[in-house]
Amino acid sequence: MSELELRQTTVEASASHAVIRRRGRMPRAGTLVSGAFVLFLVAATVAPALIATQDPNQIAPGDAFSAPSTAHWFGTDESGRDIYSRVVAGTGTSLLIGVTATAIGLALGLVLGVLASFGGRIADFGVSRLVEVLFAFPGLLLALLVIVVYGPGPVTATIAVGLSTAPGYARIIRGQLVSIRSSQYVEAARVLGRTPGRILGRHVLPNALIPLFVLATLGIGQAIVWASALSYLGLGAQPPAAEWGAMLAAGRTYLATAWWMTVFPGLMIVGTTIATTVLGRAMTRRGRSGR
Amino acid sequence: MTPGSPADPPSRVDGAILRRTGLLVAGAVFVLWAVASLTFFAIRLIPGDPAQAILGGPGSQASQEALDQVRRDYGLDQPLLVQYLAMLGRLITGDLGTSYALKVPVAELLGAQLGATLLLATLALALAWLLALGLAIWSTGRGRVASALGEGIEITAAALPHFWLAAVLIAVFSTALGWLPPVATGTPSGLVLPVVTLAVPLAGFLAQVMRESLLDTMQQPFVVSARARGESALGVRLRHTIRHAALPAISLSGWALGWLLSGAVVVETIFAMPGLGRTLLQAVTLRDIPVVTGVVLLVALVYVLMTVLTDVVSRVADPRLRQEGAR
Amino acid sequence: MPAAPVTSSPNLRRLGIAAVAVVSTIALAACQAPAPEASGEPVSGGTLVYASGDAEPTCLDPHVGGNYPQALLAGQFLESLVSRDETGEIIPWLAESWTASDDGLSWEFTLRDDVAFTDGTPLDAEAVKVNVEHLKDPATQSSTGYLALGKVDHVEVVDDLVARFVMSAPDSALLESLTQPWNAIQSPAGIARGMDENCQAPIGTGPFIVDEWVKQDHVSLVRNDDYTSPPADAAHEGPAYLEAIDWRFVPDSASRYAALQAGQVDVIDNPQPDTISAAKSNDALVWLDAPRPGAANRIELNSGQAPFDDERVREAFIRAVEVDEGIDTLFFGTAERSYSPLSSVESVAYSDEKLFAPDLDRANELLDEAGWSERDADGYRVRDGARLTLRFPVSTNQSIPAEQSLFEQVQATAKAAGFEVVIELLDLSGWYGALAAHEYEIVSAPYTKVGPDVLRILYHSDSITPAPSGYFANLSQLNDPGVDALLAEAASTSDPEARAASYNEAQRLILGGYYLLPLYDQQNSFLMSTSVQGARALPTVSTPTFYDSWLAG
Repeated sequence: MSELELRQTTVEASASHAVIRRRGRMPRAGTLVSGAFVLFLVAATVAPALIATQDPNQIAPGDAFSAPSTAHWFGTDESGRDIYSRVVAGTGTSLLIGVTATAIGLALGLVLGVLASFGGRIADFGVSRLVEVLFAFPGLLLALLVIVVYGPGPVTATIAVGLSTAPGYARIIRGQLVSIRSSQYVEAARVLGRTPGRILGRHVLPNALIPLFVLATLGIGQAIVWASALSYLGLGAQPPAAEWGAMLAAGRTYLATAWWMTVFPGLMIVGTTIATTVLGRAMTRRGRSGR
Repeated sequence: MTPGSPADPPSRVDGAILRRTGLLVAGAVFVLWAVASLTFFAIRLIPGDPAQAILGGPGSQASQEALDQVRRDYGLDQPLLVQYLAMLGRLITGDLGTSYALKVPVAELLGAQLGATLLLATLALALAWLLALGLAIWSTGRGRVASALGEGIEITAAALPHFWLAAVLIAVFSTALGWLPPVATGTPSGLVLPVVTLAVPLAGFLAQVMRESLLDTMQQPFVVSARARGESALGVRLRHTIRHAALPAISLSGWALGWLLSGAVVVETIFAMPGLGRTLLQAVTLRDIPVVTGVVLLVALVYVLMTVLTDVVSRVADPRLRQEGAR
Repeated sequence: MPAAPVTSSPNLRRLGIAAVAVVSTIALAACQAPAPEASGEPVSGGTLVYASGDAEPTCLDPHVGGNYPQALLAGQFLESLVSRDETGEIIPWLAESWTASDDGLSWEFTLRDDVAFTDGTPLDAEAVKVNVEHLKDPATQSSTGYLALGKVDHVEVVDDLVARFVMSAPDSALLESLTQPWNAIQSPAGIARGMDENCQAPIGTGPFIVDEWVKQDHVSLVRNDDYTSPPADAAHEGPAYLEAIDWRFVPDSASRYAALQAGQVDVIDNPQPDTISAAKSNDALVWLDAPRPGAANRIELNSGQAPFDDERVREAFIRAVEVDEGIDTLFFGTAERSYSPLSSVESVAYSDEKLFAPDLDRANELLDEAGWSERDADGYRVRDGARLTLRFPVSTNQSIPAEQSLFEQVQATAKAAGFEVVIELLDLSGWYGALAAHEYEIVSAPYTKVGPDVLRILYHSDSITPAPSGYFANLSQLNDPGVDALLAEAASTSDPEARAASYNEAQRLILGGYYLLPLYDQQNSFLMSTSVQGARALPTVSTPTFYDSWLAG
């Protein structure tokens, strides 16, 4: 589940010599469109009722499987519910799953990463092995175990996805911290007699946080995708929750007859991933040129 | 165990290799032990009585005597620590136990499934590699449009859920065009769709990494000088840069294999293929603890072996790493 | 597109024997597509590929446990003492005749004298005795078959071919029970191998033999060339036409249908309703609709605890919920609304449509009366600070997507009356766990059994007492001495009319107490390619049989 480790390389590689070639590589328009999309997501999360055209859970069996039209922009599902309104209503739940799972992974990763890079050799060895162990559990397997123990639902799905991304974050953070720790300004601070706590808080963490933030934006879309796999297996969000992954999984049954049931929630997931990734990269550029 | 990790102490090359191998083996054994222990204790948290899972599973009407008998037979009435030690003892001798539901030895059951899943995962990994490499080479250093297009394809591919991609592929290539069978029955053509389903999202990830390192490599002095010597752009790409660009991706292959095994749970279900993923899903549904433990251990073993292998391969592919201690 | 595999082998010539004699086209029950006339004479040979969406069994011996996936497979290689024809009459199978004593405490079955198990062991009375003992042995872990033989005390061997069932109480359902695949007769030598081995490949007298079981993939069945014992309603005698059956497990319904369309498989079960509807307009596919016997699919209301211990609240729920339109659209006209606790297959099924007419005003009135008169901010009713919440555990292994969608519609319509329905999607173990812990107010649980005796299992107060595992079948927790007495009467009478009258009255009481919301028959559909000729569902538990089938070119 940790494409994050892949991103580590991405971020590290960019960190070395990205500035020159990066300039103007991603069209500005992309950033703007992505920003607009994320604004829409935020609005849908905060005030879904304003953006939705109907009650997302209002059934109308007589209208089931209607193709997109002016009355139903994204068509209707098997119970005649308005897919556009459900997509809007599901934004909050889906983003919550994505953001919370990422936050859990990041928090755990931060703790492990700090321990590994500042806890001495024994702690480093221990944490590195622990991370290995967690890596040896494929993400879905870890998720299945968590779900079997604590029962299915959005909360368990979120925790499961979060847990399985943690080792990836831990590795990246450890790598970042180690390289910052040996950097010149940290050396300088040490020479000046600053306490380790102060060095960590003042110099190391702030410098490690920007790349972390970028990583987080990249992780959100993936977390949603994995949560949708759990929904496909019947272990994700519980009905009638309009979660994107659950909608995608439910619509799959009717792929041949009602393409709109999967295409629109699918576009939201892909759109969210692309938008957060583009914004994340834009922020890396800014963060770097500001340093 | 990321190659080039700065924590590795500097030492003479031979000693470093020996030390490193020792550490790798010790680390591997530790990982397997920890995975076994974690699984053992995590599974005790699962609500439900193992004795019942043995006696016909959910909804069975086993008598009290039968339940007691099974608890004695399987040692489930023993203290947890005794059960734990007994399990470790069995593992050391290579005994994975007997499936609660299927009543056959776990090793036999998984042995029959492992090959299928490994074949699927290996082919998918290889295809993902090819796709990623092709995309990275095609879209790198070709100007903004190609680059943006490449990135768009990568991100979209990486965001495709397996179950959805599979459904679309079946609808197009089986139902509409009739080219490929939708259910894998062991024939080579049956493997095409499952492999593609698994490979495409992974290729999206790998391509992102490769492009970054490709860009980096292309600015390296040796590439610049090769260009100055008059080699063509494509020639330089193929001859010099790919090997370096591939490095980070090689070191991720262990991770990618684990990722593929996760995907196999879904893909094997959709394409009705035998394999570890489907076995795991069934075992979880039936609370078949020995099978779940067996799958976890097997996957951990594959992961550990893969880590060692990628470590060695990276060293072969990049001479710099052989003396990284001195860097 | 690969054609259905037909071996044009010398088998075509070897056909000889009596087989040619009987070539009646077997009418597919409710065959929807214009089935082409059976194209001439049966063709011998070929392998039929069957794709099953039911869970892969963990044991092929249906005595162990006893669920529907096991029955589907066992029907191909095991046979029962008696069978049932389409009118519901009991007909000879392995037993050619039977008599009951006047007090109903002793039944004698006379076996055919020309039958042998596929391991060579002859079928005799001793074998029947061994099978009943096997079913009743706790070590066998039998559930369905064991329950069906609850009143059989033991079996005596009268002579080689006559077995006497000695009953602890009269049981009018004995013959119906004995038709079931879960009570099929296996080779004593096979049973003696022990459970582990017998589970892999049980040995029976059926038209096919288990050749190999590759886990998570398929079961290979090969023809029994010495087959002699078709049920009395079969279309031919002698060995089956098909040379083999390749029985594959394809859990994903979309993949299954795609495989059928692509000609990769010949028959699929559990098709999605939308694909059935699509298949109706496809000349290359035939729909076999075979509702299961026993109980209808229904939502049970747990009367054992609040709030459904109050009949008014139960009625309010049933009046509030609307399912008719949903059943129409979700099942594309393939499922008919039921108003009976029993399957429409059962001749004594009693329906009362007016009890289930939706009436929101009446529901609101009843709830007000019952003290649930206030509503909270979300529109749900509350009483003494507690919300009117109904927990609804749904098994993702047992409810197809269309049914899960229907439950969401139940949830949405019940909300109008102020019920909060909380659907919990669970896997099988979690689902049984929730039921055992009584953590449900409503639940849908299929139960398949031949004959109306299923009412005793589902609604007799004895079925509230859980097995040590926590399992109990009376999920509405209906506890009515009147119902108990009627069910006991029906089970012990030997007069068919008195039996039917008692079952009718019991059903009237059960429905009138608003303990359940019937939905439709247990859907049991098969789609097959038109090249598959002569397939039918056995009128016992509606499993398909391919004994009379052949593959037309």
